[in-house]
Amino acid sequence: MKFRVELVWQGDAADGEGAVPSIYLTPDGRVILQGRAVTAAERAALALPREAEMISVDRALIRAIKDML
Amino acid sequence: MFLRNYWYVAASASEVGRKPLARMILGEPIVFFRTEDGTPVAFEDRCAHRHLPLSMGKLIGDRLQCHYHGLQFDRAGQCVRIPGQEQIPPNAKVKTFPVAERHGWVWIWMGEAALADPAEITDFHWLDDPNWGAKASYLHVKANWQLVVDNLLDLTHLAFVHETTIGNAALAEHATVKVTRAPNNVVVTRWIIDQPAPPTFVKVGGFTGNVDRWQIIDFVPPAFLRLDVGATPTGTGAPQGKRIGGITMRNLNAITPETEKTSHYFWGQAHDFDVNNAALTEKIFEQIQTAFYEDVAVFSAQQRNLDINPNPPQIDINADTGVIQARRILDRLHGEEQAALHASAAV
Repeated sequence: MKFRVELVWQGDAADGEGAVPSIYLTPDGRVILQGRAVTAAERAALALPREAEMISVDRALIRAIKDML
Repeated sequence: MFLRNYWYVAASASEVGRKPLARMILGEPIVFFRTEDGTPVAFEDRCAHRHLPLSMGKLIGDRLQCHYHGLQFDRAGQCVRIPGQEQIPPNAKVKTFPVAERHGWVWIWMGEAALADPAEITDFHWLDDPNWGAKASYLHVKANWQLVVDNLLDLTHLAFVHETTIGNAALAEHATVKVTRAPNNVVVTRWIIDQPAPPTFVKVGGFTGNVDRWQIIDFVPPAFLRLDVGATPTGTGAPQGKRIGGITMRNLNAITPETEKTSHYFWGQAHDFDVNNAALTEKIFEQIQTAFYEDVAVFSAQQRNLDINPNPPQIDINADTGVIQARRILDRLHGEEQAALHASAAV
């Protein structure tokens, strides 16, 4: 097991924030996030690029990224 | 940058007595003493008359007498005697600070006195809990207080700075690190699984094989870091909460800014095994003290470079994650405190 860092954001309860998925920093410089694969139906409805792998993430996770990275 | 509306450790309880003690805290000279009934008192260390440090004076009962012209101040900071005259000017008084005693330390509130609540003092009960063997000490650090906080939030440095005591390569290369950030708190949890124990752990824990080691660092603003550290023989369930056959310690740190470039570093080490063994407490303490002297050399060297170039560029690495979160909390709290100060000044 090499060195890796997991960031956990415990938001302010007053803001009504719930649990936010962790953010992982890898030794080779990547940032790994938890999300959900975008479905084919969503791609079509939102006119998203056909070829790229895409994920949907919680907006609270974006806030956590802004605050922590 | 100082955060003022907080309790800070000012002195060990044994340092404050009937001989006035001078200490600078957050850039302010303070004098400490005890009244005859043992109550600690803290004043601005400056006579209201001609500014001599009151710490050069002496106690007459519960009054602190200035060494220069003999003005006497009571525990409320009010001048109550001027030799040779009866009339005492109404503004013949010195600033006083709320103080309290907890866990073998004297604590001081440096901000708005009306906000001082001793119930808010950070818990360091391991230092005087009969279920723990513990010893506390003090270091004077020629470095800004945030450099000390940074050091305790990233323990990868143990592998390089403390390789003869509490460090080994596993800390830097084989750790999983979890940084949990709440609005005003950072907890850094590090696990090093199935790796050799560092020299100190071998000496005090008697480990002969690999261990599962933990370091759980709890940061509370402005500068309190309470570390839960220890190890068990590998594979006995420590990551699942079973601490069997190993050692558990607490490394306890309370940093008080002296100036922007110097700090008072109050610290202690506690152990929950063989707690009444004074020789073991001393042995553990000496190991950690050796490591801390190494840290002091690092802080001083950093500060010397920062004195030459105060705002150099710097890079961040993954291991800095907890450090960065703590600094963001402190910057935000400082901004809020300054805003409140300016708002009340404008009214």
